[in-house]
Amino acid sequence: MIPALPTLGALSQNLALGFAVITIIVLLAYLRKGDTRLFITGQRSALLVSWLTILSTVILAFELINSNFNLAYVAQYTSRATPLLYKISALWAGQAGSLLFWVFILAVYGLIVIYQNRDRNRIMMPWVIIIITGVELFFLFMTNFITNPFAPVDPGIVVRDGNGLNPLLQNVTMAIHPPTLYLGYVGFAVPFAFAMAALISGDTTAAWIRLVRRWTLVTWLALSIGIILGAWWAYQELGWGGYWAWDPVENASFMPWLTATAFIHSIIIQEKRSMLKVWNMVLIIVTFALSIFGTFLTRSGVMSSVHSFTASSLGPLFLGFVFLILIVSTLVLIKRLPLMRAENRIESFLSRESGFLFNNVVFIVMCFAVFWGTMFPVLTEAVRGTKITVGPPFFNQVNIPIGLVLLLLTGIGPLLAWRQTPRASLVKQFSIPLLAGLVTALMVYIFGLRGYPLASLALAGFVLATIVLEFSRGIRVRHRKFGEAIPAAFWKIIRKNRHRYGGYIVHFGVVLMFVGFVGKAFDQDIETVVKAGDKFHLAGYEFELKQISTEERSNHAAWIADLAVKRVDGEFVTRLFPEKRIYFHRDPDEHRRQPHSELDIHTTMKEDIYSVFTGIDTEKQAASFKIMVNPLVNWVWLGGYIFVLGTLIAMWPNRRRK
Amino acid sequence: MKNRSKIAVAVVIVAALFLLWITTGTKGKEVPYVSVAELLEGDFSQDRFRLGGNVRAGTINISEENLLDVEFVLEQGEEGIVVHYNKTRPDLFEDGCEVIVEGKLISGEFYADNLMTKCASRYEGDLRNAENYELGEI
Repeated sequence: MIPALPTLGALSQNLALGFAVITIIVLLAYLRKGDTRLFITGQRSALLVSWLTILSTVILAFELINSNFNLAYVAQYTSRATPLLYKISALWAGQAGSLLFWVFILAVYGLIVIYQNRDRNRIMMPWVIIIITGVELFFLFMTNFITNPFAPVDPGIVVRDGNGLNPLLQNVTMAIHPPTLYLGYVGFAVPFAFAMAALISGDTTAAWIRLVRRWTLVTWLALSIGIILGAWWAYQELGWGGYWAWDPVENASFMPWLTATAFIHSIIIQEKRSMLKVWNMVLIIVTFALSIFGTFLTRSGVMSSVHSFTASSLGPLFLGFVFLILIVSTLVLIKRLPLMRAENRIESFLSRESGFLFNNVVFIVMCFAVFWGTMFPVLTEAVRGTKITVGPPFFNQVNIPIGLVLLLLTGIGPLLAWRQTPRASLVKQFSIPLLAGLVTALMVYIFGLRGYPLASLALAGFVLATIVLEFSRGIRVRHRKFGEAIPAAFWKIIRKNRHRYGGYIVHFGVVLMFVGFVGKAFDQDIETVVKAGDKFHLAGYEFELKQISTEERSNHAAWIADLAVKRVDGEFVTRLFPEKRIYFHRDPDEHRRQPHSELDIHTTMKEDIYSVFTGIDTEKQAASFKIMVNPLVNWVWLGGYIFVLGTLIAMWPNRRRK
Repeated sequence: MKNRSKIAVAVVIVAALFLLWITTGTKGKEVPYVSVAELLEGDFSQDRFRLGGNVRAGTINISEENLLDVEFVLEQGEEGIVVHYNKTRPDLFEDGCEVIVEGKLISGEFYADNLMTKCASRYEGDLRNAENYELGEI
C-alpha cells in the first residue's frame, strides 16, 4: 500500500476542477481577444483536465484492487474476498465512484475530440471545448465537494475487512453493463457540445453534420449495448423471468435512446435535403438533457426502483443542471433561428421525407409515453396529493401499439422515394412486401394466434420482405452490371453504401427482437414446493427433483438442486442445476449473511426453460422452485447481436481520401 | 391546401391523438401509493394499493404446510398491518428490511401478490459492524 496515493488522487481531482475553471476563462478570453496563444493555452488546459481526471480514476481503481480500507468507498464496496474483476467494477458500483467514472469517460471523449480536431474546425472548437469542460466542471464539483470517493473512513475506526460487493452485482454482465450505458449517456455530451458550438459560432455547415452524426452513432451504439446487456443481466440474474419491467431507471436510459434514434433518422433528411434543421437541434438538446435527467432519476431517490441509490442531496443539483441546459440551449437556438432556415420543403405525403417525419413523431410520442408513466407518481403527488403509480400494464398497453406503428414505418420508409413516390412505382414497391405480410398473417392465424402477436408477426413478415427486396435489388444490379457472383455482390453493396445497408441490417435485428417480444405473451410459470423424488408439470414438461447437494466455495456456500426435465412422453430434455447460495456465510452475525438464487436456464431458439431455486426448509428437506417456460427469448438476443453488427457497419469510417 | 400544410396538419393530428391516448391510458391502471394509516381509515376493500414500509422484526411467519406462504407485519412508525403473501420471496426479504407490497385489503389485512424489497442499506453507508472494525487510538 502506498500511503500518499489517495492524497494524490484527491489532489488531482482538485486540480482538474481548477483547470476546468481556467480552461473556460481562457477560452472565453480568446473568443473576445482573438489571440491564438490564448486558444492554445485553453486547449492545453482542457487536456490537463482530462489527464488529471483519468489519473485520479486510475488511482481509485488501484486502491480498490489493493483493498485500501482506509478509504470509505473501498471499504463500502469491496472486501478482501471480492474477486479481482468485481474489485474493479466496484469503481462504478457506488455513487461517489460512479460520478468520478462519469467524468472519466467524458475526459476520454474530450481527449479524442481535442486531438482529432487539432487543426480542424477552428471556429467551432473553442465552444466545443468550453461546453465539454463545463459539463466536466459540474461533475468534478460533485466528486470534489458533495460525494468524494477519496474520503477516508471516520477517524477512530480501523476497517479490517470491507462490506463486499452486493452478490447481485457479482456477474460478468453487471461488470460491463454500467460502463457501456455510461459510454452512451456521457457520450451525448459530445454531439450536444458540437451542436451548441455550431449554433453559437454560426458554423452550421456540412462538416458539422458529419461530425455530429458519427458521434451520435457511436454513443447511441454504446447506449443500445448497455440497454441490451442490462436486459440480459436482469433475465439471467434477477429471477423474475423477464428482461424488461419498465422500471424507472430502465426508462431513464430508454428515453434518451428514443430521442437519439429519432435524431439518427432525421439527420439523414438534413444531410440529403437540408431540412428539419431546428428540429434536429431540438432532438440533440433533448437527448442530452434526458441523459442528465436519467442520472437524476437514478441518484435522487424520487423513484423507488431496484437501481436507486440511497436518497442523497444530489437530486436538486442534477435537476438544476437539466434546467440550465434546457434554458441556455433554447435561448441560443432562438437567437440563431435565422441561420436554420430550411432550403427545401416536403412535397408529398408519399415521400421519404414524410416517412422520416412520421417516424420521428412516433419516436417522440413513445418517449413521451415512457416519460408520462415514469413521472406519473411525481405528477399525481404534486396535483392530487396522493402518489399514484402505473406499472407495466400501462406501459404495455400504450407502447405495444406505438411500437407496432414504428415497425410498420420501418417497412414503409425505405420503399418511399425522396421528394415524391410515383403512383406506378408504389404498386411495384409495395405488392411483394404486402403479400408477404398477408401470407404471414394468414399462417399465424391458422396457427391460432390473434391480436397483438398476430399483428407483430404479420408486420415482421412485411418488414422482412422489404429488407430482402432492397438487398436483392442492389445485388441484381451489380450482378447484371459487373457480372459479380451473388455473395460477392452482396458484400460489395454493403461496402459501397454502408449507411444504407448497415441501417437495413439494424432494421433486421429489430424485426427479430419483435419476434422475441411476441413470445412474452405466451410465458408460463409455476411456483411449487417439493421434496427429493417429487415430480411436477409445466407446459408439456415433467420436472423431477432428484436431489439437493451442498458445496462450500471461496466466498459463499450453496445448495444445488438437481432437476431432471423430460417431455411428458418421456423423452429426456435436460438437467437443470439452480442454486441457493449464501454469501458471507461465515459471518457470525446471521443478518449479514446474504442469500442469493443463482438460476439455471436451458435455452433453445424455440423457448427457454428457466429455473429458480427460491427457498429451502432444511428441517423438512423441502425446497421451493419457480419454473418458467419462456418462448422465443433467444430471438431478442439474436436480434440484439444483429442490431449491433448493423450499427458497426453503418458507422465504420470511410477510408481517408488523400 | 398545399401538400406541405396538409402534412403539417396530419402530423399535428397524429401527435395529438397519441398524446390524448397516452394521458388517458392511465385510467384503470392506477395503483395508489398509500400509508398504512390512510389504508385502515378509508373504505378501500375493492381496489389495489401499494404500501411501503419495513418488515417488523420477528414477525415473519412461514407456514408449516407451504414454504411459499408467509405472513408478516409491515410497519410504518407506530402503525402496522398484517400482510399475506404466497409467492416467491426476493432473496433480500428479511427482518427489518424495507419492502413495497401491492395487493388488496381484505377485512383489515393486506393480501399482496407482488412484493419488492429494497435493502440497499447493507451496501451503502454502514461500516459500523462490530465484526469489521475496531476502535483505534485517537
